[in-house]
Amino acid sequence: MITMIKMEQINKIYRPQSNPVHALRDVSLHIKMGEFVAIMGPSGSGKSTLMNVMGCLDTPSSGAYHLGGVEVSSMNSDQLATIRNRKIGFVFQNYNLLPRMTALHNVELPMLYAGVEKEERKARALDCIGRVGMLDRIHHRPSELSGGQCQRIAIARALVNNPDIILADEPTGNLDSVTSLEIMNIFCSLHQENTTIVLVTHEDDIAAFARRVLHFRDGKLINDEILNPHLTEPSAVEGGGDI
Amino acid sequence: MNLGESIRVAWDSIRANMLRSILTTLGIMIGITAVIAVVAVGQGGQQSIMKEMEQFGSNLFYITMDWRRDELPTGREFTMNDIEIIKANVPELEYLLPCAQTFSTIKSRDKVKTAQVFGTEADYAHLHPLEITAGRFLNNSDCLGKRRVVVIDEELAQELFPRTSALGKRIIIDNQTMVVCGLLKAENSIFGMGTKVIYIPMRVWLDIYPGGSISYIEGGTRSPEEVKTAMQSSVKILEKRHHSKDLYQGVDMEQEIQAVNKVTGVMTLVIGIIAGFSLLVGGIGVMNIMLVSVTERTREIGLRMALGARRRDILIQFLIEAVVLCLLGGIIGMALGIGGAFLISALAKWPPLISWTTVLLAFTFSAAIGIIFGILPANQAANLDPIEALRRD
Ligand SMILES: Nc1ncnc2c1ncn2[C@@H]1O[C@H](COP(=O)(O)OP(=O)(O)O)[C@@H](O)[C@H]1O
Ligand SMILES: [Mg+2]
Repeated sequence: MITMIKMEQINKIYRPQSNPVHALRDVSLHIKMGEFVAIMGPSGSGKSTLMNVMGCLDTPSSGAYHLGGVEVSSMNSDQLATIRNRKIGFVFQNYNLLPRMTALHNVELPMLYAGVEKEERKARALDCIGRVGMLDRIHHRPSELSGGQCQRIAIARALVNNPDIILADEPTGNLDSVTSLEIMNIFCSLHQENTTIVLVTHEDDIAAFARRVLHFRDGKLINDEILNPHLTEPSAVEGGGDI
Repeated sequence: MNLGESIRVAWDSIRANMLRSILTTLGIMIGITAVIAVVAVGQGGQQSIMKEMEQFGSNLFYITMDWRRDELPTGREFTMNDIEIIKANVPELEYLLPCAQTFSTIKSRDKVKTAQVFGTEADYAHLHPLEITAGRFLNNSDCLGKRRVVVIDEELAQELFPRTSALGKRIIIDNQTMVVCGLLKAENSIFGMGTKVIYIPMRVWLDIYPGGSISYIEGGTRSPEEVKTAMQSSVKILEKRHHSKDLYQGVDMEQEIQAVNKVTGVMTLVIGIIAGFSLLVGGIGVMNIMLVSVTERTREIGLRMALGARRRDILIQFLIEAVVLCLLGGIIGMALGIGGAFLISALAKWPPLISWTTVLLAFTFSAAIGIIFGILPANQAANLDPIEALRRD
């Protein structure tokens, strides 16, 4: 299996001069293509910092980070932007949809920065919206959608440039338990289509959808747990995203 | 992101705050309105004056005395002899006329008016487009024989003799009785300015106003090329006859046109400065609202960066937004300016001149303001840290 993410001795120190916060300490980990990994840990343990580094939104203070075989920790901001655009799909806790745009235009947004032509943009956006079961809402604005529907659109947006990896930081953090399950089913179906997924959560039943859980405390990776696939196979996977 | 997309995004965000956007561009709108209207009216006026001058003739010149000199040039005024001598010695001349004028009361039997009494000779009609509607203009025998005849315009004639034709009637100019020998079409020009002019033979004028003298000489040549030589020769003769240098000044159309251009140039400069300040204030307004917009949309900027926007994509997006905002003001200003120009011109009675250069210039200028005053906010947006920006609410 191809290694998608390879981190060696990653450290992240915020405000190194004035009031240093050591948010990541010597983190080393490998994630292979097609894996579904959950990251758990108490608040302030560095989960979001790790996601930012993984997603090339932030650069580590020290250590080596290879994404899909490319060393990214020394890249400049334009190169990182291109990596984020082509290789990463972000899903946020608060959806981060642009309120003035329709669902369709929100999903098209990453393709604008990839220089995709208009017709193809629309076709690909519709395809991804279809995969999250939101085709009947493409002309709605975020304010006209429920939280779960917004998160589906956000997932469609994350998928639209065919990224190597989906990074989701507490994607169900703002959702009720039923809606959370619906969203997790979408992630499961993406996993079955061989998408690499890294997902932050502090809920055990959400983490249970993954095949591997990384436990963090005080910026350190303290436990790398492989879950038993037979025990954790969710029954609702067959439905995909269409619920 | 291509230009079309960027413009659409910019337009969307401007439309989302339409009232605010319009108010922001008010300064630019007013600046552009002022520039367009004033330039159009100014150029229209200039063109009208030029046309009038051309009609007047480019083969003409004047000789005047330089009144700016300290001592009064008494005893050196133009005389009828000067005219005869110059005529005899300057072969390029086709016409040479003495001109004198004074303000007087004009009476008919029961009406009193005031007018400019203009003394000249028969050839005046050849140098100026006077339209005789009844009778005739002054002729050579009127002038040489000092006949007491006068040419007035129809409007004055109507005022002096409301019930009958003025032709052949007596009128009294400064207690001197004169006979109306011709009627002119009422004048309707920028130079006319409402003052009525009545024409009498030069020698009669000198008799009526013994203290007066010829105030200027008007000359005409067969071709415009001969004007300079004829003018210079005439001035030389005058200087020699009156033993004085630098007292007599020749003026031809070229100088007149330069003078008009100088006036319009100064006017354009003044308006340019006023408009410049208005556009500066407008630009600062745009910068201010763009800074507000960047702050309001920090999260959007962070998100766009997370989705793959490079710093220059963000920079260009906000620059385009500033430019579109300024162009909005500029285009509204242009429409208002053109409307205003027609309105002012309708009152001023000359057609406005809206040139493509002016419109293009206004357009480019608004865009330039957008770029200049958009740089700071756009740069601020582009330099945001995506993580910080995403965390903002
Ligand atoms: N931009 C920042 N500047 C300074 N400290 C930060 C910043 N972001 C996070 N931290 C600190 O780094 C530590 C890890 O934060 P974070 O990665 O957000 O944790 P988690 O997502 O697990 O709650 C915390 O102590 C937090 O206060
Ligand atoms: Mg967090």
